[in-house]
Amino acid sequence: MTLWRVEWLRIWRTRTVWILFGIFIFFGVLGPLTAQFLPEIVERAGVAGEIDLPPTSPELAMSQYVSNALQIGILAIAFIAATALAFDSKPEIAVFYRTRATITEILTPRYVVIAITAVAAFASGTLIAFALSTVLIGTPDALATLKGSALISLYIMLAVALVGLMSSLISSVPGAALLGIGTLILLGIATMVPYVGPWLPSYLVGGFDTLVAGGEFDYWGAILTTVAATAAAVWASTYLMGRREV
Amino acid sequence: MPTNAVEVTGISKRYGSVVALDAVTLSVPEGSVYGLVGPNGAGKTTLLGILAGLRSPTDGAFSIASHHVSVLPDTPKFEPWLTARETVELSAALGGIQAPADAVANVLERTGLIDVADRKVSGFSRGMLQRLGIAAAVVSRPGLLLLDEPAAALDPQGRREVLDLVTELRGESTVIFSSHILDDVQEVCDEIAILTRGSLVYQGTLDGLIRDVTHGYTYRIEIRGDAGPAARALRACNWVTQIKVEESVVFVSADSTVVLESELVPLLADTGVPVVSIGPIEQSLEDVFLDVTR
Repeated sequence: MTLWRVEWLRIWRTRTVWILFGIFIFFGVLGPLTAQFLPEIVERAGVAGEIDLPPTSPELAMSQYVSNALQIGILAIAFIAATALAFDSKPEIAVFYRTRATITEILTPRYVVIAITAVAAFASGTLIAFALSTVLIGTPDALATLKGSALISLYIMLAVALVGLMSSLISSVPGAALLGIGTLILLGIATMVPYVGPWLPSYLVGGFDTLVAGGEFDYWGAILTTVAATAAAVWASTYLMGRREV
Repeated sequence: MPTNAVEVTGISKRYGSVVALDAVTLSVPEGSVYGLVGPNGAGKTTLLGILAGLRSPTDGAFSIASHHVSVLPDTPKFEPWLTARETVELSAALGGIQAPADAVANVLERTGLIDVADRKVSGFSRGMLQRLGIAAAVVSRPGLLLLDEPAAALDPQGRREVLDLVTELRGESTVIFSSHILDDVQEVCDEIAILTRGSLVYQGTLDGLIRDVTHGYTYRIEIRGDAGPAARALRACNWVTQIKVEESVVFVSADSTVVLESELVPLLADTGVPVVSIGPIEQSLEDVFLDVTR
């Protein structure tokens, strides 16, 4: 039994894996369906007046998937990450780990396993959305989808790292999750600031839509910032947790 | 000269203006079961936390002979989705021991958990968690085992089992056993330290404590009628360290039981007072503890 095996068992036995994959696959199905049937849905809903709906397209299907899945998905990822990373919230369990392993040994598998699971869940939803869009509407640009998914994956890894950082500041699972989400929301708002915005991690989220719609790849600044911020957050959380007294 | 498993020198711990430990100095002999006694809030858990490396002292220093220290908190908890066997295997692996399956099974057998070894920990009672905590702590054969109130809040049977397990560990590991249940300490510990309000007020053997605090060994003598003549005769003896009279009962203390056994009865016979009963008083740790921490 190793700490790596413990983390894989955690995501399996606490049904974390099903929750994450369930969310992204659900929206992976819903995205192309709503893109295809949106006019009928609006009509049957009996909405009065003229509504200007975007034309049905593979790009719209993928965009629907990402915008819907990320809202709920990031929320779920934050809470699931906090459950594993804010392990000091249960001091007796923290004593078990802290007296037997270093903080780096404890945190590394937690970060890696959660990030891999979250990215894999997002990728599975993307694959479903891509396949269903191909069947119902048309084939999205595969390379652009791949590049866009890579940007979102980086953003997901940052979200996990930020929750880890918050876990080192506050010994509460909901507290760490909500602080992490709050930070991501603030970063999202800051993206609107001219010149600075394109360098911020939240800029990557919009990259998926832009690339799938045929836009240019102009995300190196945001990629650099996100990778640096993720590494800094992981390092800081390890340092701060190592100094914390239980 | 016996070696010490733990040496604590002038350790203090302050949280702002609150002094949790105040210049505590103590030594724990190798292979002993050492009781850390004190009322709630005395600083026992803080001292164990420092020895476990979970907290840093504000002042002072300590050394531990063994590199391998295991800790059992007062209310141990484990990942609820792991089984008892997996928990013990994980503890062994993290302790650097590649415990073979039969070694893990052996520890589970010793702690009475072998029948539930493959059950998830989430369904375990408080007593079972305590036994699992001991199994997880001893599987990696620690040189020093820190047990924080291991029998507190257990039912009598659970308490009995935990005390028996601690007794079995004597000689295998050095055990520091914190408790405010004095009967438990009296039963399993070789030496004790008494902490009160963060300060060490006694360190040594239980016999030594009882002797020091109660001015030696005490006999109770019940006299028919006036106890005055007997008390006066006893006060004249240079081997008497303390004397107390309560109506017709005289309590007399001396440094040694041998003196009391050999001198007391002839002296009373010489005075000619009618003696109803005479016998030693068994001092409990609780009586002494209350005296020391008052």
